[in-house]
Amino acid sequence: MSHPTPAPAAADHLVHQQLGEMARQLHDTLMQLGFMPRLGELTDCLPDARSRLSYIATKTGEAAEKVLNLVDSAKAEHGSIADATRRMAQSIVADPVKAVASGSVMNFVGDVEASTARIDQHLTDIMMAQDFHDLTGQVVAKVVKLAGDIEDQLLKLLLQTAPAGQRQVDPALLQGPVVDPAGRTDVVANQEQVDDLLASLGF
Amino acid sequence: MSSATDMKFLIVDDFSTMRRIVRGLLKESGFNNAEEAEDGVMALQKLRNDRFEFVVSDINMPNMNGFELLAQIKADETLKHLPVLMVTAEARKEDIVRAAQEGAAGYIVKPFTKATLEEKVQKILQKLGK
Repeated sequence: MSHPTPAPAAADHLVHQQLGEMARQLHDTLMQLGFMPRLGELTDCLPDARSRLSYIATKTGEAAEKVLNLVDSAKAEHGSIADATRRMAQSIVADPVKAVASGSVMNFVGDVEASTARIDQHLTDIMMAQDFHDLTGQVVAKVVKLAGDIEDQLLKLLLQTAPAGQRQVDPALLQGPVVDPAGRTDVVANQEQVDDLLASLGF
Repeated sequence: MSSATDMKFLIVDDFSTMRRIVRGLLKESGFNNAEEAEDGVMALQKLRNDRFEFVVSDINMPNMNGFELLAQIKADETLKHLPVLMVTAEARKEDIVRAAQEGAAGYIVKPFTKATLEEKVQKILQKLGK
């Protein structure tokens, strides 16, 4: 079944009208974007922000790995001292004269001194591994400022372009740790509140 | 059935640091047998290829998140008996309720303490009679 074809003059008028509407929409959009010259400048900064965030992830990841390795080493050292102490106590209780005369006590004292020196070094290294905080703190401050500027510009754009009542929040934006639970009723602030909520559900 | 301390745990989290911390805390609580997976996809592969008795899972992960993993476990006849303890930064009540409704055995919000993890694991094991 064929559709009725508009007369040539009417068709020309329809095409002309549609072209006009498209031009109008494009003009309006460009005008709206034109109100946001800072937005263009800010989006140029985004690759830099991404690299800064990657830097933070790398630095904090390296620090965490380093600290965990050092803790493993210190705990192993601590375990060795504890075992040696128990053995030495048994030797002294069994035969104190022999324990001293054989040099076991002095060997033990030397071992403890060496071991505690190594543990002290591990603790110092753990302390030093926190240096990432200073570096990443500065980077975070810059990224936060950039994010704030972009948010400000995007909010203005949103208010000018979004139809009333149609603003929606992407659920993905809500994922992750709750930085500030104060005044919110949709989140929990600690494990006790999780337990209370689960208990109210019969768990 | 193995004793509680021989139980094989699967720790699922996209952050290796968190996997290592959970593994370390479980070890200090006497649970020495644990493996790790970095997302739900890898976790399911491990669960289907090996015998595990306890799953500790994050929620916010790439490829397959914790809720999807939980659903897959509970829909699998051979896996649905496994207790799944969610350990996550997600503190929204709707997430906690959803986890409970979909069969999670427990829910811990990050940051957490060794005592909290130990308490929740023991509570779940007691419920299971282990």
